[in-house]
Amino acid sequence: MNSKIGFIINPIAGMGGRVGLKGTDNVLKEAIKLGAKPVATKKAAETLKEYITKYLTKDDLQWFTCSGEMGADGLKSAGIKKIEVVYDVSDRKTSSEDTKNLCKKILEKNVDLILFCGGDGTARDIFEIVNKKIPILGIPAGVKMHSGVFGINTSATAKMLHEFVNGTLAIGDVEIMDLDEELYRKGEWNIRLFGIAKGIVEPTYVQVGKTIYESVSDDDLKNELTEHILDELEKSSDCLFLLGPGGTIDYIARKIGLDKTLLGIDAVYNKKLIANDVNEEGILALLEKYNSAKVILSPIGAQGFILGRGNLQLSPRVIEKIGVDNIIVVSTPSKLSSTPFIRVDTGDKKLDQIFAEKEFMMVVIGYRLSRVVKIQTNNF
Amino acid sequence: MKRNATEFLKTEYQDLVSKNLDWKIRILESGSAPHSTVDGKNILMLCSNNYLNLSNHPRLIKGAIDAAKKYGAGSGSVRAIAGTMKIHIDVEKKLAKFKHTEAALLYQTGFAANAGLIPQLAGEGDVIISDELNHGSIIDGVRLCKADRAVYKHRDMGELEKVLKEADKKYRRILIITDGVFSMDGDIAPMDKIVKLANEFGAMTYVDDAHGEGVIGPDGRGIGAHFGIEGKIDVEMGTFSKAYGVVGGLVAGSKDLYNFALNKSRTWLLSGSHPPAVSGAQLAAIEVLETEPQHVQNLWNNTKYFKKEINSMGFDTGGSETPITPVMVGDSGKAKELSNLLFEEGIFALPIVFPMVARDKARIRVMMNAGLNQKDLDFALEKFEKLGKKLKII
Repeated sequence: MNSKIGFIINPIAGMGGRVGLKGTDNVLKEAIKLGAKPVATKKAAETLKEYITKYLTKDDLQWFTCSGEMGADGLKSAGIKKIEVVYDVSDRKTSSEDTKNLCKKILEKNVDLILFCGGDGTARDIFEIVNKKIPILGIPAGVKMHSGVFGINTSATAKMLHEFVNGTLAIGDVEIMDLDEELYRKGEWNIRLFGIAKGIVEPTYVQVGKTIYESVSDDDLKNELTEHILDELEKSSDCLFLLGPGGTIDYIARKIGLDKTLLGIDAVYNKKLIANDVNEEGILALLEKYNSAKVILSPIGAQGFILGRGNLQLSPRVIEKIGVDNIIVVSTPSKLSSTPFIRVDTGDKKLDQIFAEKEFMMVVIGYRLSRVVKIQTNNF
Repeated sequence: MKRNATEFLKTEYQDLVSKNLDWKIRILESGSAPHSTVDGKNILMLCSNNYLNLSNHPRLIKGAIDAAKKYGAGSGSVRAIAGTMKIHIDVEKKLAKFKHTEAALLYQTGFAANAGLIPQLAGEGDVIISDELNHGSIIDGVRLCKADRAVYKHRDMGELEKVLKEADKKYRRILIITDGVFSMDGDIAPMDKIVKLANEFGAMTYVDDAHGEGVIGPDGRGIGAHFGIEGKIDVEMGTFSKAYGVVGGLVAGSKDLYNFALNKSRTWLLSGSHPPAVSGAQLAAIEVLETEPQHVQNLWNNTKYFKKEINSMGFDTGGSETPITPVMVGDSGKAKELSNLLFEEGIFALPIVFPMVARDKARIRVMMNAGLNQKDLDFALEKFEKLGKKLKII
């Protein structure tokens, strides 16, 4: 396959980490003053070199990138020659605006994938332009990497690139997440879900002949989950259901015909939407009104959080009221294969302890099909 | 425009061909034996399930002929109406005695046993707990019922216990289903531990012992005998098509199970019974296992020799505990290439590639056979060594 790849480096990604800042958004000067060194170009070159030496048999990839440190330098230092510079920044310091403009130029070239090197902030900038048009793959180099677009490390990313080019990996939904940095520096920790991008995921296979397997599309798997949730809604028609954020649950809700918000918590009763994007207070009020409630969640982002990232409305008070046993977790098998744990960080030690003692949860992975998955409440 | 009713037959087939996913059927022009003729070529057969080479045993052939002469070519009906012949009952009684269970029931095939019985054992409000690597026919059987399903990591008793704990709170019946011998890796389900856990939680146990019947346990009596827990597994399902050398599914267990299964399994109730010749051969197969222990011994001697030698060449055979011997190659393309080269050299062995196994765990699956002699084994080993070096696997 003659793949066309767009390539972006955020040269300042990761610089805040070693000097104790939780990111480089708006604080680059401070980071440099504290002795921060650029890391992204090195990580990008590392990934590309590994890709070339381990996997590339025929150099048939065409790269589209930016001049200098935002792309071309990294590609050249890895020995790549088929580069087309589509955006020039040689005369100035770059910013996130340049990432966005570069993305626009890259999209004009009808590339198959954008490979970038950076952190959550970079992913967010790219997502803002690319949305779900083409898949995004991230070489991890930032301080925060909660988004689902990143490989685990440079080696894993090189392998994913190879498998994507080879057609052995599928395209699926991944979350774009980032810390609200302004709030963070004021002392508030809030990882927000910004949207659902296309990423590359391990496909799920089903046996169709004795030794013949076919991959199942992400949508087919989500349709199975939809059937399951529909059964749940019908079985407990007198129960309030709270639907969490994220691509999987958004898909399910739409299939059922509920006009759900992608990033918020929505309330459903008797298969009808009764409230959109409810905050903590709103949820508590609903819980007063209804006798029983269940919450449907799906792991979010690269680390597989079900609580504590992107859904702070589900506060410890809310969860205590609903009851830990009334949490239904759904996930496509491909998502679970990249996040073997489900993680919980409610911000309340006692509640986290309840999850820790539970040790594991049954996660719904298909129609009436579940599997046991470990819960992690610390060490992340 | 009027729709084309059958065009999909061609286009879907062509799609499979273009992806190289269609079956290229090889044709046997001889009996299935260690030395067979396949597509006009004499080969050493290392991919049949005829573990004990009983399909060529004179007593089985005679059993088939005698039964056909006595009862005719067909049975005339389904078992439930007018198709149960004395010879079917003889097989079931002999089988129960051989397997030390109260009763045994014949099904048309192993698939028919799984697809017919599993949906009757669990329904709405029940849960089926299944090893993640279970065979496709179990998965299909499970799909036919309304029970919830939960999977546990392959042979992981810790995970099984966790699922049982969770299931205990929510469900009416709990059914644990596992393969006995797993067909890709040749490892064995820890049935003793599964039965113990099941007893703790009041769960039912169901084992698909297709690759264990006639192979493991004293005299090849299967997985119950292998672990010394005969009669303690609620449903021991197996097949006559592998080591027994014939065809047909079997279910062994209690009298209650027998009565329940034959009254409720739709596959059993709605398909014709075995032709008498089939049951004549089945009966003889059990008799051979009872009286000629050398076949099972040969199978294991060959397995031990082949594994020892191929390991000493530097090949990895994974976690196999049975005559199913995965010879690890790694890359899928290489495994296919090795299989093709082996065939050219006169050895028929199947490549098992991604996604049947993990991407880096492609292998040639060698099925050992009691009918192979020393010369055959050394011939096969020599070719594996030569081609393994050529392809830089060893």
